[in-house]
Amino acid sequence: MAAVSLVRCERGFARDAAPDWMRQELRTGTTIMAVEFDGGVVIGADSRTTTGAYIANRVTDKLTPIHERIFCCRSGSAADTQAISDAVTYQLGFHSIELDEPPLVQTAANLFREMCYRYREELMAGIIVAGWDKRRGGQVYTVPVGGMLTRQPVSVGGSGSSYIYGYVDSNYRAHMSKEECLQFTAQALSLAMERDGSSGGVVRLAVISEHGVERRVVAGNQLPSFSAI
Amino acid sequence: MSRGSSAGFDRHITIFSPEGRLYQVEYAFKAINQGGLTSVAVRGKDCAVVVTQKKVPDKLLDASTVTHLFRITENIGCVMSGMTADSRSQVQRARYEAANWKYKYGYDIPVDMLCKRIADISQVYTQNAEMRPLGCCMIVIGLDDEYGPQVYKCDPAGYYCGFKATAAGVKQTEATSFLEKKVKKKHDWTYEQTIEIAISCLSMVLSIDFKPSELEVGVITAKDPRFRILSESEVDANLVSLSERD
Repeated sequence: MAAVSLVRCERGFARDAAPDWMRQELRTGTTIMAVEFDGGVVIGADSRTTTGAYIANRVTDKLTPIHERIFCCRSGSAADTQAISDAVTYQLGFHSIELDEPPLVQTAANLFREMCYRYREELMAGIIVAGWDKRRGGQVYTVPVGGMLTRQPVSVGGSGSSYIYGYVDSNYRAHMSKEECLQFTAQALSLAMERDGSSGGVVRLAVISEHGVERRVVAGNQLPSFSAI
Repeated sequence: MSRGSSAGFDRHITIFSPEGRLYQVEYAFKAINQGGLTSVAVRGKDCAVVVTQKKVPDKLLDASTVTHLFRITENIGCVMSGMTADSRSQVQRARYEAANWKYKYGYDIPVDMLCKRIADISQVYTQNAEMRPLGCCMIVIGLDDEYGPQVYKCDPAGYYCGFKATAAGVKQTEATSFLEKKVKKKHDWTYEQTIEIAISCLSMVLSIDFKPSELEVGVITAKDPRFRILSESEVDANLVSLSERD
């Protein structure tokens, strides 16, 4: 690459020296989702990471463990969200050891918010924090770009989320069972992946409850299909 | 060469005396005995155990909040001997160092590296005039990926070392000789044997017939590498089997 740029060093040609995707920031153009149910939470995400139009990783794991029963779903800049997750994991781990008990989901969410708000000018990160703790059971907190924090029974995020607000609003019912939540999440994510170019690959799901974490993958050819067109 | 008189401060801050001693460090060792407790740690074939007395002198104290066993990470624990406030400070620093290591390097801190870090920090206190050494001794136990169960001790001087078995506190010398005799015979004990040796050591040296509420026992085994503090019923079971053996 270096040799090519030396030869074509005039302004106009410099842009062709490296493909467009090598100069783009690595993003998780994404669809992420989390739903509370009685006894835990179901979280899900697609698996596509893009640099421009190139899919850098088609099997990404965007569901990141922060603590034993607390996960976060990452959307936005891959580097930013990884760095934030690592920092929060460190802080929460230390906090938990000092407390000598498992941390609250709300604590994790607050740590994410602190970081996302303080460095809002430098960061591009939309994060959904979800997990189970003894005090309040399953909880979903959303920390969108900018650093707001709010708890929601169901939350969607990422570029693909715009296409499924209607589906989620019309199909969400309170007091769904674990299986119903899994179905609901998988279907919503499939719909988003179908329409959003930056979302795709496989659907990664996880169920977090008192009993631990159960992870699943729904491969592309097993995704529910909706329209004939 | 005259013997050189110090300005008289060698007993007050950590500078050398004319004989080459650091009085403040020696006083720190004496301060460990202020706590009035003794702790013992033993390494078995696939386990490591720490045992310490639980003395609750005041009837008004809530016994459940009194402890000298601390968790540093999921898989590393320690017993602190000496001044309680200094102990807590050192434990918190150890927790921070362990968390920071995990964050920076991406893997759990090995037991010896944690002890090394704490020892290095303690050494700094022996060189700075504005700080005093901490009056506590930390015995750390953990399971190393490569070397198996580990027992490490670090003291106010900033010295640290790995042990097959060790003791700290008031009756340190007596406990150490008891353990030396045991180690001479053999030193690859099972889990039950390790706990028995640790408890019987304390019992012998302090001449106390322990009740479960007077002991704190922390263990790490290869099967369950998580640092675990035994419940009163588990301690009771061990004491019973120990007395039956006798």
